[in-house]
Amino acid sequence: MLISFQNVSRFYDKWPALENIELTVESGEFLVLSGPSGAGKTTLFRLIWMGDFPTSGVVEVSGYRSDRIRKGDLSNLRRKLGIVFQDFRLLSERTVFDNVALPLQVAGSSPRAVRKRVFSLLAEIELSHRRSSYPHELSGGEQQRVAIARAMVAHPVILLADEPTGNLDPDVSKQVIELLLEINRTGTTVILATHDPRQIPAGTARYLYLDKGHLANPVSWDGYNQL
Amino acid sequence: MIHLLKTSFHEGLLNIREKLGSFLVTLLMVSLSFMVFDIFLVVSWNVGTVLSNEQENVGIELFLNEDVTEVEAVNLADLISVMEGVRSVYYVSSLEAEAVFRADLPEQADLLILLGPQFHLPSSIQISLRPDYRASEKVSGLARTVSGMDGVKDVVYGQEYLPGLTRTVDMMGKLVILAGLVLAISLSLVVANTVRLAVVKRAPTVEIMSIVGAPGWFVRMPFLGEGLITGIAGSAGSLLLTGVISSILSSSIPHDFLPGKWILLVLLLGAASGAAGSWMGMRSGIPKPRS
Ligand SMILES: Nc1ncnc2c1ncn2[C@@H]1O[C@H](COP(=O)(O)OP(=O)(O)O)[C@@H](O)[C@H]1O
Ligand SMILES: [Mg+2]
Repeated sequence: MLISFQNVSRFYDKWPALENIELTVESGEFLVLSGPSGAGKTTLFRLIWMGDFPTSGVVEVSGYRSDRIRKGDLSNLRRKLGIVFQDFRLLSERTVFDNVALPLQVAGSSPRAVRKRVFSLLAEIELSHRRSSYPHELSGGEQQRVAIARAMVAHPVILLADEPTGNLDPDVSKQVIELLLEINRTGTTVILATHDPRQIPAGTARYLYLDKGHLANPVSWDGYNQL
Repeated sequence: MIHLLKTSFHEGLLNIREKLGSFLVTLLMVSLSFMVFDIFLVVSWNVGTVLSNEQENVGIELFLNEDVTEVEAVNLADLISVMEGVRSVYYVSSLEAEAVFRADLPEQADLLILLGPQFHLPSSIQISLRPDYRASEKVSGLARTVSGMDGVKDVVYGQEYLPGLTRTVDMMGKLVILAGLVLAISLSLVVANTVRLAVVKRAPTVEIMSIVGAPGWFVRMPFLGEGLITGIAGSAGSLLLTGVISSILSSSIPHDFLPGKWILLVLLLGAASGAAGSWMGMRSGIPKPRS
């Protein structure tokens, strides 16, 4: 078990963003989390990377427990995670290369190791020629691929993608989803939040549906067929 | 770890380079306000040196009756030498006093001859005091005690300016501390403000860094560095400016520049207020990563 939510609730001013969530995620899974806007998907992600903590219950991620983790361990936890956002969150004043290199640099890798890894990753996502460009010079799809490269550069155990295609055209979205599937095939656990679970081919993923902070019965609900 | 420190240093430089202009303005502002303090320090250092030289000389001079024999005088001197606050005691005989008078004021030496052979300068006992006994109340207390002793004709000490002297030295010390305090507070507020602005400006970067696993100290380092550099460079700049002014004025107003220890203290004050300012700025500024 890589991730577990044990009766987790997160309240904002008495309003439950998440309530009584029970969930386990195994290593290597591809999990698709869907649900309407405001359902609590982003909150659930934030609890995983411990940018936020449950009001009650315990979240456990790769051995770190939300009720016991020390401040100094947050960076260690986050180095095991790669995170991708709907709005890319690239640093506008840095080149593609420096954006992708960031997680390695803040982990203290040598410049030589950083260069080697970043070059090979940029080649994989076919953006080598863009390494000296700035984010605003790229298309949305390219920016999201750079963001995914940044998330993957330090070989994370889990990739969290929070509506990564929300700002992209369908064609480009397809490319991004392909990339996520490829990442999952190499063994990385992927959790994808999306409005449109039909983006993922049937049979490749486990589906969860969140509504108003409640997880629809994750065993019996077959979101893919119902949609 | 080495690479991480290097990267952290690099981030700090990026941070400063992004707003080099406003950084230099802040530096100049800090330097100028520190300069006022430095000049004040130079003045009080010099006045303080003069005053403490004066204070050094604060002693008690005990003039003896003419009928006191040398043996009695030495006994008296021995008695005084063991009293509290007395550092040393020196007996000056009448003959010695005359010799000193002749050496110090050769053109008045004839005066002694005019006064005739039966006139003698009084013999005396010179009392020098321990530093902590040079304050006015203690000196006058001691003077009162010895003036009551047998064979003592007169007691002389810096009665006129002694109370003022002690008070001036005291007050200057307090003023320096007060000025330093005011300066430290205003500098840390200035730094806190620039750091707060820097934090807000860099919020997206800071947020992404902590999301991709940067340790907390790594995120804070550039801001702490900015405060430290502002404080140290600002105080160093002020010392430089003050030094230039001091050397320009030294021919017309003879004075000393600050001793090394004081220079170090000014730099430390700069560093400490800079660091404190950074800390205040970060406390109100660094965002928690969200969504
Ligand atoms: N920081 C916050 N403060 C107050 N309410 C919040 C905060 N973050 C999220 N919420 C609320 O929690 C609920 C779930 O939000 P979110 O997890 O962002 O949903 P989703 O990502 O599925 O659209 C929403 O009602 C939202 O308004
Ligand atoms: Mg969301």
